[in-house]
Amino acid sequence: MEPSSSLPTEKTAPRRSFLAAAGSILIGGLITLTPLVTGIGFFLDPLLRRRAPFKGGDADGFLAVTNLSDLPEDGTPLRFVLRADKVDAWNEFKDQSIGTVYLRKLPGNQIVAFNDTCPHLGCKVDYQEDSKTFLCPCHASAFELDGKPMNKIPPRRLDTLESKTDPDGKVWIKYQDFQCGVEKKGAV
Amino acid sequence: MRRREEGSRLMNSILNWLDHRTGYRTLLHEALNEPIPGGAKWKYVWGSTLTFVFAVQVITGFFLWSAYSPSTLTAWESVYYIQNVMSYGWLVRGIHHFAAQAMMILLGLHFMQVIIAGAYRAPREVNFWLGLVLMQIVLGLSLTGYLLPWDQKGYYATKVATNIVGVTPVIGPQLQQIAQGGTSYGHHTLTRFFALHAGVFPALLVGFLALHIYVFRRHGITVSKSDETKPAGSFWPDQVLMDAVACLGVLATILFFTVWKGAELTGPADSSEAYSAARPEWYFLFLFRFLKIEAVDELGLAFGALYVPGAIMGVIALMPFIGHWKLGHRFNIAFTFALLAGASFLTAIALKEDAADKNYQAAVKAAEFEGHRAAELAKEFGIPPTGALSLLKEDARIQGPKLFARHCASCHRYNGHNGLEQVRMKEVEENGHKTKVEEPATAADIGRFGSREWIKEVLTNYHATFESLKNAGEKGGKFLDGEMAGWVKENADTLKKSENADSLKSLVEFLVAQGGRKELQPFDPALVATGKEIFKTGKLASGSFTTNCSDCHALKPADGSESLGDGAGPGYPTLTGYASHQWLTDFVKNPAHDSFYGSDHNLMPAFESKLSDQDLKQLIDWMVGDYFRSK
Repeated sequence: MEPSSSLPTEKTAPRRSFLAAAGSILIGGLITLTPLVTGIGFFLDPLLRRRAPFKGGDADGFLAVTNLSDLPEDGTPLRFVLRADKVDAWNEFKDQSIGTVYLRKLPGNQIVAFNDTCPHLGCKVDYQEDSKTFLCPCHASAFELDGKPMNKIPPRRLDTLESKTDPDGKVWIKYQDFQCGVEKKGAV
Repeated sequence: MRRREEGSRLMNSILNWLDHRTGYRTLLHEALNEPIPGGAKWKYVWGSTLTFVFAVQVITGFFLWSAYSPSTLTAWESVYYIQNVMSYGWLVRGIHHFAAQAMMILLGLHFMQVIIAGAYRAPREVNFWLGLVLMQIVLGLSLTGYLLPWDQKGYYATKVATNIVGVTPVIGPQLQQIAQGGTSYGHHTLTRFFALHAGVFPALLVGFLALHIYVFRRHGITVSKSDETKPAGSFWPDQVLMDAVACLGVLATILFFTVWKGAELTGPADSSEAYSAARPEWYFLFLFRFLKIEAVDELGLAFGALYVPGAIMGVIALMPFIGHWKLGHRFNIAFTFALLAGASFLTAIALKEDAADKNYQAAVKAAEFEGHRAAELAKEFGIPPTGALSLLKEDARIQGPKLFARHCASCHRYNGHNGLEQVRMKEVEENGHKTKVEEPATAADIGRFGSREWIKEVLTNYHATFESLKNAGEKGGKFLDGEMAGWVKENADTLKKSENADSLKSLVEFLVAQGGRKELQPFDPALVATGKEIFKTGKLASGSFTTNCSDCHALKPADGSESLGDGAGPGYPTLTGYASHQWLTDFVKNPAHDSFYGSDHNLMPAFESKLSDQDLKQLIDWMVGDYFRSK
């Protein structure tokens, strides 16, 4: 076990030694990276796979909310709960509340639907009867009846949702959530 | 050129800066420049491969942890989700699953190498014992990990282990309850096992592994006498390369099994369902078989499962002292090989017995199917908050065969088996020897009941269809000599004539259409119409029946047309909706009803009060093929 005994080996075979070192590093890297990279891929599953947050609605994903006749004629917004089968990873919960919206009926039976999530940082806005505005309880974002911001806090208007009215007078909404805190409205 | 020089100078100054503050160069030198007398050797790789596989387990384990949910309602469910839905989940779980098994093999090889090389002798005794502690921790990891998917296989295998803990003298029941988190398995069994598996054991393993490697480095590698005098090689890079190549081989093997077999997931754990495919994982099969030896069994569970393994571990722990004696080292080697041979022998017996046991094979197949079915249902319907088990409990495809085996198979068969692809056996005495023989059926094999083949068989070969009734005593004999049997005897030859092939096909089509079963559709309308005429008039393409069907059997056609006859009364089964869900339900509820066999002829018990409505529905759903099928 004298240290001197290792010297001749090093001198006589430097090339072999270099190959062994390179091979060790190469193989060592490969075998470590294999489980690591696989695991990182697994961890990035939320980015790699789209998941529908709920099941239900018609072929285009619209959910029936209320009757046109149940909305006030003067355009006052009313809050509605949307119900569908909620999907959470492996679970499916039947007939759950999956989100809330504000609906307004405009002249000519036109429907305006707002996702009531504040585009600032995601709290729920509340309609204030006295001031006829939507107000966010978290950071005081305020919006007019048509969704226009009334101060500089929110980055954009309240998010509108697609809606349609069927021949029976039922109002359908395509529910979506949007990225908070950015100027551009984009579905998440 | 100057640029490159500058670059390397900068790199050097950064490394110098780092070395001043951390001393990493000395550390690296210490770690890598271990001299190896006699040079690097393949037989020295096992410890490194074990360390590598442990690292793989830590990495994959962390990622699995990020998606696993330990509770009885979510464990199987989250593992199903990892395995079948999440990106690369099957790969991460597969590596973790097979690496755990690789660790067992490598542990065995490392141990053997230590014993053969005599690396347990002075001054390395303490390190040997540290190794034994590590072995126990790995066994603990394996045991706790096996339960976590909460599938039938892991559940029942682990139950055996905790019940063994329960027979420990004096404190057994208390130990068992601490392990289980209560008197029975539940949420807390999982939370405890998970805390041990992902927290306590890995932390202990890291600590003891550090000590093990530290003490190992203190004494250096154990080399043979002849190697001591040879020039020494160095750990870096020669031995490291060999270690790396060995690790690569291990990883390749793990990946091969992951891709080829994949990590198994049987059906969700069900404490109310006997699991006849219960076996421990292969590396514990020897212990399982050992406990089944009659002489061992008679000495009590504690003897076989605790004292004997304990004594063996005791001898192993004493090996450093035994090795002091003359011949001690040889004894240790012999003892190790004897253990290996004994374990291999018992494993071989267990495997051979299982391979010969058809009912065990059927149970394994059924367990695999249940896992597959649960995953299929979960994918289609999502898992309700009551857990995946409720998907199986409400599935006719799973429950039907079980109900058949429990309630019907004592008389009937289903395509030759009991519904679960098992064969009913009974013990008989033959020349003073007790042997097991297949139990004869006493009623018809109804695996194809209501199908075209079934109807054709009844019409042309009645005796063969109901042959088993000859084992059913006097009433069974009467059945075989009854009017229908007589009718078939008289008319089978006419029906089987080649000119009448279409007539027979039509009559069969008409009858099968009465049941309207989805799986037998579509029905040929032209054939059905012809068949209806034959049923009514008995006129075939060539010749006619001695007695018309409608003379004896009442039948109101499924097409809503006029009744073809009122039947000849009790004992002449009504064929309205023959073999449909409703017909079968009514029949099973009370076969002695006047519209079926009537109380004079009937042999079959009424199940009206024996089966709950849900059970009856599931049984019939399964028989008529009314359950979810994936595309």
